[in-house]
Amino acid sequence: MRHNRVFAAFLALSSPFLLAAPAFAEGQRVQLRGEIIDTWCYFSGVMGGPEAVVGSAHHTCALWCSAGGIPVGLLAEDGTVYMVLQIEDSDESAGGDTQMRLASHVVSVDGMHYERDGLNYLVVSEVVQDDDIQVLSHDDFGVVPPFAVPEDAP
Amino acid sequence: MIARALTAALAALALSGPTAAQDFSENSEARSWNLFAEQPARFEATVVDILCEVTGNCAGNCGDGRRQLGLLRSEDGVLVYPNKNSQPAFTGATVELLPYCGAEVEVDGLMLDDAYLGAVNIYLLQRIRRLGDETWVSANRWTDDWAENNPDAAGSGPWFRRDPRVLREIAEEGYFGLGLDRDAEIRAELFP
Repeated sequence: MRHNRVFAAFLALSSPFLLAAPAFAEGQRVQLRGEIIDTWCYFSGVMGGPEAVVGSAHHTCALWCSAGGIPVGLLAEDGTVYMVLQIEDSDESAGGDTQMRLASHVVSVDGMHYERDGLNYLVVSEVVQDDDIQVLSHDDFGVVPPFAVPEDAP
Repeated sequence: MIARALTAALAALALSGPTAAQDFSENSEARSWNLFAEQPARFEATVVDILCEVTGNCAGNCGDGRRQLGLLRSEDGVLVYPNKNSQPAFTGATVELLPYCGAEVEVDGLMLDDAYLGAVNIYLLQRIRRLGDETWVSANRWTDDWAENNPDAAGSGPWFRRDPRVLREIAEEGYFGLGLDRDAEIRAELFP
């Protein structure tokens, strides 16, 4: 009996190693709604807390980061961040036009969800609905970072 | 005897498994960014196309710069996601990693570990070298690469003030992304 329990635990812990090469995660179809965010500012806190780096206050910075090739994510309504690897036909996850045009937008998507080493990944099959920017964070945070909007802008 | 051997193997796996928090700070020379969850991390890895690695949808030469690239860590097989290069300029890591597609490398930088925000195995790449090479390469090529690809955007000031795509988005939707009329109202409120 004791041998069986130990052996079962051994199999459970060793399975990631036994299946290590090549181990594509099994995807699950999902429907999600959330904001397309700049993951570096969100994860790192470099520009402030998570509430400050979403929505309108942070939109220009989100454009910069997306154009700069920083990964975008989908911040779902339950707070989970999904790293976006593809949007419909575009696999340009490193600075592509499709993801940049959706910066800060709240979208509803149909896609495939994968998990790997603690991160959630998303391949968007279809952007079902694009509700544009919904989080009016400038009401609370102004501009994030403050220099994103030049005071003398035309 | 068998139980003892399995128990020992179990303990070893538990200590070395991908889910265990590990310290890769030894010999790291990474510069701090004073980030809440940063840890210096220097390790060996293979540069991979993340879309390919996660889903099996692969492309030649790791996507030729279109796709995000990852670091498949040699010690434990964990897929590390380099979100950022070493430049404080809103720039990612793909340009820095693409020359090493499929290669075994050593990297040095900062790992973020903030489970509250879901930041696990997120990495800021500061320098890289092929295994066996003596010389490190700084992960700061992005802005030069951008300048080469945007000769018409030459001028003074940082790239993000001159980038044609960013400028086009702002010209169409404003700095706050809410339309030009609303944008002017908000700016008048914030900068009276």
